[in-house]
Amino acid sequence: MPPTFYMKKCTGCGLCDSICPADAIYMKEFEDTSVPYLKYPDECWHCGSCRQDCPEGAIDIRFPPDMLCI
Amino acid sequence: MELIDLSADVLIIGGGLAGTNAAMGAAEKGASVLVADKGNINRSGDIGGGVDHFLAFLNEGQEWDTQNAFLDYVEMIGRGTGHLSIIESVYCAELPDAIERMARIGNPLTQADGSFYRTQSMGQPGTYWINFNGKKLKPCLGKAVRKLGCTVLDKVMMVDLLTHQDSVVGGIGFHIRSGSFYILHTKATVIATGNTNRLYENPRINPFNTWLCPFDTGDGQIMALNAGAALTNMEYMRMTLLPKGFAAPGFNALVGMGGRFLNSLGEYYMEKHHPMGNRAPRYEVVYFTLEEIRKGHGPIYIDCRHLNENDLIHLETSLGYDKDTLPDYFEQRKEDLRTKPVEITVSEGMQAGPTEVTGSGIKIDKNSAATVPGLFACGDASDHNRCVHGAITGGYKAGKSAATYAKSLTYGDGAPKSIIREEIDRFMKPLHRPSGYPYRQIEDAIRKIMAEHVGSMRTEGSLKCGLEKLQRIESYLDEMKATNFHELMRAHETRSILSVGKVMATTALFRTESRNKPYHHRLDFPGTDNTNWCGLVVFRKDGDRLSCSFEPTT
Repeated sequence: MPPTFYMKKCTGCGLCDSICPADAIYMKEFEDTSVPYLKYPDECWHCGSCRQDCPEGAIDIRFPPDMLCI
Repeated sequence: MELIDLSADVLIIGGGLAGTNAAMGAAEKGASVLVADKGNINRSGDIGGGVDHFLAFLNEGQEWDTQNAFLDYVEMIGRGTGHLSIIESVYCAELPDAIERMARIGNPLTQADGSFYRTQSMGQPGTYWINFNGKKLKPCLGKAVRKLGCTVLDKVMMVDLLTHQDSVVGGIGFHIRSGSFYILHTKATVIATGNTNRLYENPRINPFNTWLCPFDTGDGQIMALNAGAALTNMEYMRMTLLPKGFAAPGFNALVGMGGRFLNSLGEYYMEKHHPMGNRAPRYEVVYFTLEEIRKGHGPIYIDCRHLNENDLIHLETSLGYDKDTLPDYFEQRKEDLRTKPVEITVSEGMQAGPTEVTGSGIKIDKNSAATVPGLFACGDASDHNRCVHGAITGGYKAGKSAATYAKSLTYGDGAPKSIIREEIDRFMKPLHRPSGYPYRQIEDAIRKIMAEHVGSMRTEGSLKCGLEKLQRIESYLDEMKATNFHELMRAHETRSILSVGKVMATTALFRTESRNKPYHHRLDFPGTDNTNWCGLVVFRKDGDRLSCSFEPTT
């Protein structure tokens, strides 16, 4: 279920939430800060826009087992 | 619920590649412009994450590199699925400006040294593909559209058009996060919503794992149809070849660089079946690949091991331009183009036109105008634009034409402010039902019906059975339940997908021949009948009455 967010690098700017064409990424409050999470993982098109646009390089793409094994 | 009324000269529905170019065309003609998109126009649509190819003739001296030779190619692979005069107007005449415009906004189609990197595939007589790095194309277009002063409504899904005295005068939609409802009053409206990609059962399990953008669900075609506009070429079920587990594009690049299709017997089967071999038109490659699989010669692979080092380096670099995450996928799946063939398979079906140069969708004329006053269409949502090249050229053309039309109207804002609250509530109903079916349950059934009865092997019996089942599932649309605005968006997409499926089955039933097999393959009429069927099936809806008619192209 790509993308994966690295919370140590993420500043909570919300750009990934803003540009995700699937409307799959949302922000939520966590320990007084805003963090992204993948609300609709099945709807990700793996377009890579979030990773390309993330100003902190905090997003990695990990493909799920069904896509890697069939 | 917040109601927001906005007025402008031109509304663009869909801010993908075609829609952003349409917005530029309209704004540069002096029109005030609204752009509404389900996503964010900086990254929405088929090429949001990037693209690597653009089809063009460039008049660089070769005999195949001219407009006339290009139109001969369209006629050869199109087989009557488009009017050459319209393609000449919406693509050929716009081509030089389109190439210059992409450079002007900051994402040129050239290499670093200013040259064009050109490759050949899909039945082309020469190297019509320009291979380029388009990873920043959408961000550049989004920036250009905003800089021109267009009002951009990101994350707004349009659900219906407004009509007044048989003309289109805007549209209505809602914000997919806040639920704010938009009533947009405009003199002209351009539909640029792409094709229909979650229409068929997906061989990779997940229906969102599609070749083309899974958020393109035929919304614009169905809005236009309901407003009285004609659709054409809707019977063609488009397919392509893709990596086995990931519906990432790359076919153009792999074949363009010299990749060879291989079956499990070790045979390069396209080189046996077609005089153009691996570089045959796409529908021919899909047709013969399906035949190989039926004969038990699968799995199927693409073999690039023979390519020279320079070509391999170029290929490995440019594959990530077309699909940013494809190199990650190959790495995680342990694929290596250099040492072993890569397993591929036939994609899901989609409503996306019969060829790379003739489209499917809203019927347009030489000015990109639909058959209803005030309505224009471009990109994959229209019947005479296709692919990246069609979206950039035809989008700009549609925007210019819409602006000219809007300026020609003498009355004020054009739109009567007659929308009533009950009409808005109708679109919100799935939110207010105490219980119901999730959109996905309905949509999965549609995809199954389409694959089993309206697929690549059709007969009168299968199509009638498919239509009956689609009508049965239609009765459940009013029982869909959405728990938030995101799900409401998906539920409206499901409605569009079902309507497109019905149009496809109806038009496929009407065309009693086969054309561009396997895209329209009638097992009960297997031959191509150029005497009676060289042209377009035109589909219309008049009230509850649906009609098909035939329009010859020769």
